Amino acid sequence: MDETFTLLPLHLDPTSKAITSPNDTTLTPHLSTLHTLHRTLLSLPSQIPPPPFPTNPKRSAQIQKMRDQGNASFKPKATAHPAQAQAHEAIKLYTYGLEMALGRPSWEPSQLVREEASALFANRAQAYMAVKMWAEGAADAETSVELKRGPGNAKAWWRRGKCLVEMGRWEEAGEWVRQAVEVEGEEKELVELGKEIEAHFRQVER
Amino acid sequence: MIDLIGLAVPFAYLGILGGSLATFFSLYKKRKAAKSTSLEPWFGPHVQRNIYLSLLHLEPQPGQEKATPVPDSILKAALLQRATEDIRRILAIKATKPPLSQLLSRGSVGDELWQRLLRAEKEMEAELRDVVEEANALATNWGQTIFQSAHEMVQNEIVREKVAEIQAKGKSDREWWDKERASIQSKFMRELDGAKPAETSKGAASGGVNSDEDAVLVEGGGPSGSRSGSRGGTGKKKKSKK
Repeated sequence: MDETFTLLPLHLDPTSKAITSPNDTTLTPHLSTLHTLHRTLLSLPSQIPPPPFPTNPKRSAQIQKMRDQGNASFKPKATAHPAQAQAHEAIKLYTYGLEMALGRPSWEPSQLVREEASALFANRAQAYMAVKMWAEGAADAETSVELKRGPGNAKAWWRRGKCLVEMGRWEEAGEWVRQAVEVEGEEKELVELGKEIEAHFRQVER
Repeated sequence: MIDLIGLAVPFAYLGILGGSLATFFSLYKKRKAAKSTSLEPWFGPHVQRNIYLSLLHLEPQPGQEKATPVPDSILKAALLQRATEDIRRILAIKATKPPLSQLLSRGSVGDELWQRLLRAEKEMEAELRDVVEEANALATNWGQTIFQSAHEMVQNEIVREKVAEIQAKGKSDREWWDKERASIQSKFMRELDGAKPAETSKGAASGGVNSDEDAVLVEGGGPSGSRSGSRGGTGKKKKSKK
């Protein structure tokens, strides 16, 4: 078994060096991923991916910069209410940051991608909430939670709960907050949101 | 004379017994070997491995004397793809083994399934050694890091899939919310004439229990919707349209 393999009908174009399989179309998706991987490898000095650690700090610095800029434009010290335009500017900056975080070469540490993207999604959720785009805020907060499971992401949990409440999806919000308390423990914000939801249900019952 | 015949009987007995045991044993072994080789493989065909090896053994095109040599960079990419598939398979085996062994000890699954998994595991060990050797042949010391890279590639793929999935769900949520909001709004407009006191009191109650920390966000959104239902509804639409 170890020494055998199935010879596939592959064809190498002598000039473009593209691999095709004219007779077997089931191979096409595999060959196209091979092709894109090949293209990215060609840009590397030795044409092999460097080991995951240590990572080039350049991209992380850029992502951090986008996040800081977004935070700065979102939280002006003079006014308590972030203006609509400022929130939209922050959303744009966070989105740039996310593109950079998710566009990281695939062989670089996935843990890093998770951490950076999770923080950016949580921030963007907050910015969406400021302009009352609840559906987007809920999705971003959920993405943030999904990327960073385990305690330490209470804000993202709270944000999705709040967004669901704002959209009137009380049942879903109740379930979400219950899960959140399980993961994050008795966080003050979460407990209060839970109480708010309970109060709503009591009101409905009456 | 009598002694010899008397001795022959037990010897013949022993000979027949030993012979039958030996034939039985060899037959049993042969059957078992045949059975284990005929076991269905745990995984389907390893396409990435086949692609890599096919590239190594690329046959010349009709009309050509020799096959065009495959550039090293393509081989490297193909090997990396092969390594990622290996990682996926190893993860699958690792995830399956403990629950399957539990099922086996309880007798819920047959021994055959277990044998298939063990065989797949052994094959993967050989496959990993093979890939490391190939990697070292393509680039010095690549064998030490190729699986680290491949592992991150698999994990990153999972991360990106999850992000895409939830964000897509968010998009459809958005469409739902747009419709929902429009319907709520039209309801408010109808109620505008004979405003019901029940609506306002409900909103005020839900807006009342807010902590200090979320005050920034809630002041931007919550109270405007809860203070007076109809005004909040129209305000929402104006702001989001900007």
